[in-house]
Amino acid sequence: MMDELDLLKKDWQKQGEKLPRLTYDELYAMIWKRSSSIVKWIFIISILEFALPHLLYLLPSAREGLALYDELGLRYAILGLTVLQYSVVFYFIFQFYKRYREISVLDSARELMRKIIRTRKTVKNYIIFALSVFLFTFIIIAIGILFSDGDSFLHVFELEGKSIDMSTQQLKLIISGVMIAMGIVCTALLGLIYFLIYGLLLRKLGRNYSELKRLEV
Amino acid sequence: MGTNPSDTSYSVNKELEHQFVTELENNQNIVHKVCSLYTHDRDSHNDLFQEITIQLWKAYPKFRGESKFSTWMYRVALNTAITLYRKSKKRVPTQDFDSVLFKIKADEYDAEEERQLKLMYDAIRQLGDIDKALVFLYLEDKSYSEISETLGITEVNARVKMNRVKTKLRTILNP
Repeated sequence: MMDELDLLKKDWQKQGEKLPRLTYDELYAMIWKRSSSIVKWIFIISILEFALPHLLYLLPSAREGLALYDELGLRYAILGLTVLQYSVVFYFIFQFYKRYREISVLDSARELMRKIIRTRKTVKNYIIFALSVFLFTFIIIAIGILFSDGDSFLHVFELEGKSIDMSTQQLKLIISGVMIAMGIVCTALLGLIYFLIYGLLLRKLGRNYSELKRLEV
Repeated sequence: MGTNPSDTSYSVNKELEHQFVTELENNQNIVHKVCSLYTHDRDSHNDLFQEITIQLWKAYPKFRGESKFSTWMYRVALNTAITLYRKSKKRVPTQDFDSVLFKIKADEYDAEEERQLKLMYDAIRQLGDIDKALVFLYLEDKSYSEISETLGITEVNARVKMNRVKTKLRTILNP
């Protein structure tokens, strides 16, 4: 075996003459091209992930939702949750940016991978947080419905004067149940989409990283 | 007219560009070798070469000549190939490309050696990304301390890993 490897080494070092050769001008042109590295992709996708949930509030229907909170007496609960949410969002963005800046191609292979994974993990934690808030909002609405007074409940869901063969209490139970079910399904769906993207982006990197790490045990 | 300060920085930049491209031109073999190990066809070879060049250029201002330009290049090139480069579609390796890079000159080796070399190159291509890096640094005659620093593992582990890779190669060669 050693003989074979030595033979290979000898041949390898003679490869120079067979390799392609680029001219000064070709190389000069290259330094102005755009990078398409995984770090760049992670940056773009992470920014999208930070931004998307908040763009939803720009939709008119979401703003109408605020009126609904008022009528169900949830104004302060939702407001508090929103303030909390944004402080945490800014914390995550700050953390993400700090870690992103620390990624350097001059680190050792292992360190580079560790920093990329850590940066991405910040976004992962953010997504878990965002999904929790999302689910929590549904739960708060469901609770709000259960404890709202009958008239405003019927008004919000436009059920006044409709002849429905159920007591208001039964209706409240059903609608809050539907709210919670919807919340769980939507959260699970968003979570699934997210973790697919996450897994695809980091699959190769994770594999190489664990190979380097396995040695240290 | 006095000297415009932006003129000075302009010429400083030009000087930096010129320095960098000249160094790269002289050391481009290293990058080509990395590309030939990590890609299977000419398009991805060029693609990876491009990405490594961009990463080298972006990091160049931080290179202050503490080490040799080529030493510094190994690290950036391997980091790009192993971690940063996003493989475009997986393509079937094309035979003609392999033969361009690893063409064995018949007059230099006997038939048996030639067969062995061909087998070795094929075997290396089947290795994982990290193993390839180890073999590459070994073939480039790098010391274990340099290998361990480039990959971020201890020297002992670099040796252990290298022995495992040799065993792996042996199994591929003699199934």
